[in-house]
Amino acid sequence: MIKKLMLLFVVFCVSLYFGTVWAGDTIKIGFNAPLTGFAASDGKSSTFGAKLAVKQINEKGGVNGKMLELVVYDDQAKASQSIPISNKMIGQDKVVVGISGSYSGPTRSAAGIFQESNIPYISAYAIHPDITKAGDYVFRTSFLGEVQGRAGAKLIGDILGKKKVVMITLKNDFGKSLAAGFKEKAKDFGITIINEYEYSIKDRQFGAIVAKVKSDRPDAIYASGYYFTAGPLVSQLRASGITVPVIGQEGYDSQKFIEIAGKAAEGVIITTSLDRDSDVPETADFIKNFEALAGYKADMVAASAHTAVKVAALAIQKAKSTDPGKIRAAIAAISLKTATGTIEFNNLGEVLKDIQNQVVKNGEWHHHSVISDPTLLAPPEK
Amino acid sequence: MLFIELFIQGLIQGSTYAIIAVGLTLIYGLLRVLHVAHAGLFTLGAYLGVVLTNQTGSLSLGILLAALISGIVGMAIYRLVYEPMLSKPPYVALIASIGLYIGMEEIFRLVFGPFGMSFSSAPLQDIVVFFGIHLRTCQIITVVTNVVLLGILAWIAQRTRIGTGWRATVDDPQMSACFGINPIKVRYMVFFTGSALAAVAGVMVALLTNIVEPTMGAVPSYKSLAIIVLGGLGNVFGTLIASLVLGILEAFGTIYIGDLLDRDAIAFAFLIIVLMIKPTGIFTSR
Repeated sequence: MIKKLMLLFVVFCVSLYFGTVWAGDTIKIGFNAPLTGFAASDGKSSTFGAKLAVKQINEKGGVNGKMLELVVYDDQAKASQSIPISNKMIGQDKVVVGISGSYSGPTRSAAGIFQESNIPYISAYAIHPDITKAGDYVFRTSFLGEVQGRAGAKLIGDILGKKKVVMITLKNDFGKSLAAGFKEKAKDFGITIINEYEYSIKDRQFGAIVAKVKSDRPDAIYASGYYFTAGPLVSQLRASGITVPVIGQEGYDSQKFIEIAGKAAEGVIITTSLDRDSDVPETADFIKNFEALAGYKADMVAASAHTAVKVAALAIQKAKSTDPGKIRAAIAAISLKTATGTIEFNNLGEVLKDIQNQVVKNGEWHHHSVISDPTLLAPPEK
Repeated sequence: MLFIELFIQGLIQGSTYAIIAVGLTLIYGLLRVLHVAHAGLFTLGAYLGVVLTNQTGSLSLGILLAALISGIVGMAIYRLVYEPMLSKPPYVALIASIGLYIGMEEIFRLVFGPFGMSFSSAPLQDIVVFFGIHLRTCQIITVVTNVVLLGILAWIAQRTRIGTGWRATVDDPQMSACFGINPIKVRYMVFFTGSALAAVAGVMVALLTNIVEPTMGAVPSYKSLAIIVLGGLGNVFGTLIASLVLGILEAFGTIYIGDLLDRDAIAFAFLIIVLMIKPTGIFTSR
């Protein structure tokens, strides 16, 4: 009996030793995403995007002679979950960089922990302004909500020339910050906001709001939401006989939106960061490879997570080290062409990129226009 | 005009609440169990409705099979979860029910995926225009289904031998058993009927929104509890009225007090006000 126990103990120790050795052969990147709960679909897409980036990098020999390893945790899109996850990534997994493939709530909480531990953290698509304010170790490779809201105002007031607008705002970090940006610039583009209605993320039936919007007779509707709220909203707006343009944002950016809204999706325009018709090799290559890996069409969250991993990998390579301080400095100085545009950070860790406007045509997202106005799209510096 | 339109939208919303909440109140009336997992059967019905309609191309068949399968699952939940707990205090069954609901949400996510599902070609989306008000066929069907199903239920309960036995068991289980009514059979029947109704409500909501998600039962799970309390626990007619009133209040509330109160909070504000005035709900059961 004692012999057997001794043998078991030896096997245990050996496996532990080799486990550590094997783990030491890879460079770990932490990744939190909502794999369960209401945001699970975005979590799944962003994880696929991140895995694709890791796969592509490893196929080319990894970084500094080592393979990348993505350590994925489910944060359920909850701030309360992302805190223990971040501690685990830093304390137990010893990740050298953390990436958020999640929403603003969990990303804000995690950002503080990574900052305190002096480990770089990149938000792939969470839009809340406070995320990068956590400190100099936190970066964001996508737009702030306010920036995208401002672009929405330009799209409606300038590009489409519509002046009487009704806003339908999703009552969370995402919707509120988009609305704030939109209102900030609405006047500059001659837009009058007739009314604003708010809805909760759990709403899928918008009968009352739709009836009221119809009686407001707007020229255009600026509606924030995710594909699972925007799909039902747009189809209900169209069913009520409203034919004016509906303008959305990156939350709509999924083939699922078109699937849910069906024919009602035709003509909907959104501000986002992924151009489906792009001939930029990084974008075209991402779209093709994502579909092959995931088995469904690429979306904004996947492209954003892919971008964030590529940024992290290049920074590790440039730092020629896994020292978090050196990686942070390399991220701050990076210049990289990615699927969602060229990534260069300002002092706050924010990016200045073009906004890609996409329109639904024949059941697919297509290029509509580009907004590249450095003054309008300028992220805050502090 | 806007008022009429908001009223109609409220009726449509209230009808979906009614079909879900009636099953819940029937079960509460019989077993004094707050069956939170009822919302899981609502989601199951919606998924089955979409999957079967997409597979067979027939919405009627989809609804029928969804109701049948959900009804059977409802009976299984009674047999496997609630029956062994009936002698325990009511909160034991409540906790089990909440756990079961959470488990069901995750099973839906694992089986059907996290993205949500839609009808490949959503049925009943034709537009009917009444005096300038655009309504989709599915919206009209939702209200009609509510009226017809609850009408049939009322008829069964009041005019048939099954219904008499059912009501007798609710009133006095021991005495009704003495008269030869099998209470176990009645329980199975109530779980079957309630769960089948929840499934129909699920398919109706799927038709209205064209998206079925693992978490779609979350709001109905607590809102229907508020509704059955408002309606006087165990009271079918009260539940129907409470559902419709709540639907209409929500439609007007979203527009006129939306800045102040979330749509989902209206149910609870209404509940608090009613309970302060009449602690037994709008309609007392007996």
